[in-house]
Amino acid sequence: MSTTAQAGASGASGFGGRWPLALRLARRELRGGLRGFRIFLACLTLGVTAIAGVGSVSESLLTGLQRDGRVLLGGDMDLRLTHVAATPEQQAFLDSRAEVSRVAEMRAMARGTEEDSRRVLVELRAVDSLYPLFGSAEITPAGNLETTLAKRAGPDGVHWGAAIDGSLLRRLNIEPGALVRVGDIDYRVTAVLEREPDRTSRAFTLGPTFMVARDSLPETGLVQPGSLIQYHYRLRLDPGATPQAMRAALTETFPEAGWRIRDTTEAAPGIGRFIDRLTLFLTLVGLTALLVGGVGVGNAVRSYLDGKTPTIATLKCLGAPGRLIFQVYMAQILALALIGIVLGLVLGAAATYAAAGILGDALGWRAELGLYPLPLATAAAFGVLTAITFSLWPLARARSVAAASLFRDLIAPAGGGAGAAGKLLRATLPALLVSGGLLAALAIFTAADRRLAFFFVIGAIGALLLFRLAALGIIAAARRLPRPRRPGLRLALTNLYRPGAPTASVVMSLGLGLTVLVTIALIEGNLSRQVRQSLPEEAPGFYFIDIQPDQVADFDALVESFPGVTELRQVPMLRGRIAAVNGVPPSELEIPSDVQWVFRGDRGLTWMREPRADDHLTAGQWWPADYDGPPLVSLHDEVGRALGIGPGDKLSINILGRDVEVTIANLREIDWANLSINFVMIFSPGLLEQAPQSHIATVKADAETEDALEIAVTDRFTNVSSIRVKEALEQVGALIAQIAVAVRAIAAVALVAGVLVLAGAVAAGHHRRVYDSVVLKVLGATRRSIAQAFLLEYGLLGLVTATIAAGIGTLAAWLVLTEIMRADFVFLPQAVILTALLATAITVGFGFLGTWRALGQKAAPLLRNE
Amino acid sequence: MNPRDQATAPETSRDTAGATSQPGPNAMPNAMIELAGVELTLPSAAGPVHILRGLDLAIGRGETVSVVGPSGSGKSSMMMIIAGLERASKGEVTVGGTRFDGLDEDSLARFRRDSVGIVFQDFHLVPTMTALENVAIPLEFAGRRDAFARAAECLESVGLGHRLTHYPGQLSGGEQQRTALARAFAAAPDLLLADEPTGNLDGETGQQIIELLFRLQAEHGTTLLLITHDPQLAARCARSVKLLDGLIVDDVTNGDVMAGDVTASSVSGL
Repeated sequence: MSTTAQAGASGASGFGGRWPLALRLARRELRGGLRGFRIFLACLTLGVTAIAGVGSVSESLLTGLQRDGRVLLGGDMDLRLTHVAATPEQQAFLDSRAEVSRVAEMRAMARGTEEDSRRVLVELRAVDSLYPLFGSAEITPAGNLETTLAKRAGPDGVHWGAAIDGSLLRRLNIEPGALVRVGDIDYRVTAVLEREPDRTSRAFTLGPTFMVARDSLPETGLVQPGSLIQYHYRLRLDPGATPQAMRAALTETFPEAGWRIRDTTEAAPGIGRFIDRLTLFLTLVGLTALLVGGVGVGNAVRSYLDGKTPTIATLKCLGAPGRLIFQVYMAQILALALIGIVLGLVLGAAATYAAAGILGDALGWRAELGLYPLPLATAAAFGVLTAITFSLWPLARARSVAAASLFRDLIAPAGGGAGAAGKLLRATLPALLVSGGLLAALAIFTAADRRLAFFFVIGAIGALLLFRLAALGIIAAARRLPRPRRPGLRLALTNLYRPGAPTASVVMSLGLGLTVLVTIALIEGNLSRQVRQSLPEEAPGFYFIDIQPDQVADFDALVESFPGVTELRQVPMLRGRIAAVNGVPPSELEIPSDVQWVFRGDRGLTWMREPRADDHLTAGQWWPADYDGPPLVSLHDEVGRALGIGPGDKLSINILGRDVEVTIANLREIDWANLSINFVMIFSPGLLEQAPQSHIATVKADAETEDALEIAVTDRFTNVSSIRVKEALEQVGALIAQIAVAVRAIAAVALVAGVLVLAGAVAAGHHRRVYDSVVLKVLGATRRSIAQAFLLEYGLLGLVTATIAAGIGTLAAWLVLTEIMRADFVFLPQAVILTALLATAITVGFGFLGTWRALGQKAAPLLRNE
Repeated sequence: MNPRDQATAPETSRDTAGATSQPGPNAMPNAMIELAGVELTLPSAAGPVHILRGLDLAIGRGETVSVVGPSGSGKSSMMMIIAGLERASKGEVTVGGTRFDGLDEDSLARFRRDSVGIVFQDFHLVPTMTALENVAIPLEFAGRRDAFARAAECLESVGLGHRLTHYPGQLSGGEQQRTALARAFAAAPDLLLADEPTGNLDGETGQQIIELLFRLQAEHGTTLLLITHDPQLAARCARSVKLLDGLIVDDVTNGDVMAGDVTASSVSGL
């Protein structure tokens, strides 16, 4: 830049304010380049990217979900009844108010017409001519769905058509056009179902879709009393009608109908909830990365400003007031932070496109691509506040650099004695509290779950304080310890507390990084443990569902006569939902989040005369075997405890569209892990005995007899479906594995932040280390003894920090698993110890690397300069 | 920031100077520096250390004074106190008519900006700024709109007109010290403090710097306080003060030795 240009620039900005001068000086100071700020930038960019990316992806998915809500739900509203179809009055009411599409869903067995054909559990969907009300189903060959499913004559007779999932073709080893038997009739596969618009709104599915015309369903013989059929009524509301008004009218007209009503805001409640939870978790991880990064920011700023001590002192000698110094360096830090934040925002915004590309149609809808200003603004605010909060203290120290240091070699890089530090702290504290408070408030108020975010903030502050205290403790202890005679050990000890030692920043950065590591290791360990354990030894091989009461005896006889069958249990089952607790509907109850699932939809119900051998009561008594009084119920004790109810309290259960009042007789423990049949509610005999019901059975059999058993049962009882537990569990396992991958991927972000910060902390001390080792070498220390001393120093630091981090990390993992993931927590000592040892090794490694490089330095140039 | 801050800053310092310009006990007409019973005690691990143990010194405007003495005798400490960079533990310090004891750190900074130039043994140029910018800093601090034009003039006057856009790292030691001299004289201070200005330079370059220093001093009529170990250099000043163990042990006038190099005004205060 030319002189005149500079003079002109200075003249233009010299309108008298302090900031322009500060900005001018800041700009000149930044000519030094980004040296020393790479870690600063990396930390901020990483954290901001994580938060902006998670927020943007989540918003784009949820926006897409909302956009496609009607398509995904299959209508403006969806009413669902289990076991029974809507009554004629109900149907008439619906028809008078909206266009109604009727869909029935159930599980059934599909098989080829060959004698030895495989049996495959399918999700049978019987749709009417209006299906789908919104969106469209894609079939191959392309055509009208209604005609495709219609009853038509073919070369081998008149058959209903079916559109089936492509995977079913492969599993049944058939070609399009072939006949497939479901229940009592054969369907002709007239099309492959490529895409169901409303697939996402369905809960967990166990098999491929088998779509048929609703009118064909009665012919299958599958519609039996008590069969587990779900009847859906999808409504296209008249213009002007609102789901709210419709919902109110339905509840008022048919208070006991027992239907579950959903509108487009809950098109995919399970997935929406899942996205919310995942977003919360990932945001917390992003915040952790930013927090760890914040320590890196602080370290980088401190070491940068330490290097600027002569410049700051010079400026002060030339008449710069402390405030100007503060402004000059604050401006620089903000400018650099801006670079990091913008970079992070760009990457975060791009994440939407990347995620959309990876996910594609997998969720059943497409993310709405675009820029989402709110998550970006939030991430930017987090970035700015983090940069400011963690820079304030080093900046305050820089402000207080004594100009006199130019005349005199100071031992401490900046600041004065303990008194000066106290004064400085008092002066800086208000600003620190304000920016830290804003950061905490932002974290809490932007979170979906504020309570959890609050705990996170408290935990983060606690962790920061704890590591700070630990560092002070280590320094104090090292100072107090008697001086060892071995020079190596003595050097290691004194290195921990000498002025300017990196002890505090190493403890802080290693500690936070390690906490994240331990947390992740434990979460990961627990998740994979659950996958392994969800295949318990005693898990049954099959569930058989929809066994009719009059088939039970034959079924039992058939299965028990089968060689290789080791256990058979069967119980009657209905589905019903809790309509009220002591007269209060669930919507007005304070339900703890860990038992909300019980109220979310239908639950399986059964009745028994006597408790089973492994039933364990925690309160109340079982009814007599010949009990014949008013209905009693045995309730899952977790639900009872969570709601504060027990024996004597009343539940109102909606079964088959009728509210039934039952009294709790006892609370009962349930171990879900062994996958045998379990029920939240077991009724006393009497009431349910008369109701239409089907039976469900679990069967354990030798592996080699499983296929034969399945064929025998489904041949004999065409309406009975078999669910292979292993296949179902594999699906669950795959789901958990996917979550684990997401956890691991995001954990890597936090981990990278931790390693960056640690490397930064060690690098910050490198200069002094070089000088130390040169002096020690001059004094006759061998490289071996110097290296030993440094290894000891870092080993000591690593060990103490690892111990504390293991504690905090365990606590954090416990919180995440039990509070966010609703999973069990088991402490896994090996995972923790391994992680701690690994981290200690990394610290020592970094320290050693730095030392080794320092040892390689030639002594002469350094000494000459001094 | 409030633009008025900048506009009023110079006035403020002048006001301060006016308000406190009462003569000290060792009143001396037209005095630039007045120290009266100045002591400096610094805390240390081994207990308080008495660095200065009662200095009385009066230096007139335009005077050139060298400060000599062995290492640790308190030379630098005395200079820091005169620059307002260190506070005296006891005693009174008045520089250019301004008494220091009532001023806070920022007022002292403003006072330095307007009235004191400092030259160090290690030059202490800001490495990220060009020669021109380095020289302009004190002028910019003072809010002068002609900061860069004036800085360019100053650099030309020390023979560095061709080095304006060079960074300190691109300048030789002698050039760096010349830049530092230009910076020290840029705001036309009343007082120049020099701490071993030739200590890091070879003999010939050092000699050139000294010539330049005295030339500028003479041109501006600046009061010069120079710390040096070099007896020859010390002798070029009109007066020599010797410190030993925190006390002034000698205060001699060299008036006749190098009279030719000293302007008449420098002794007018005596």
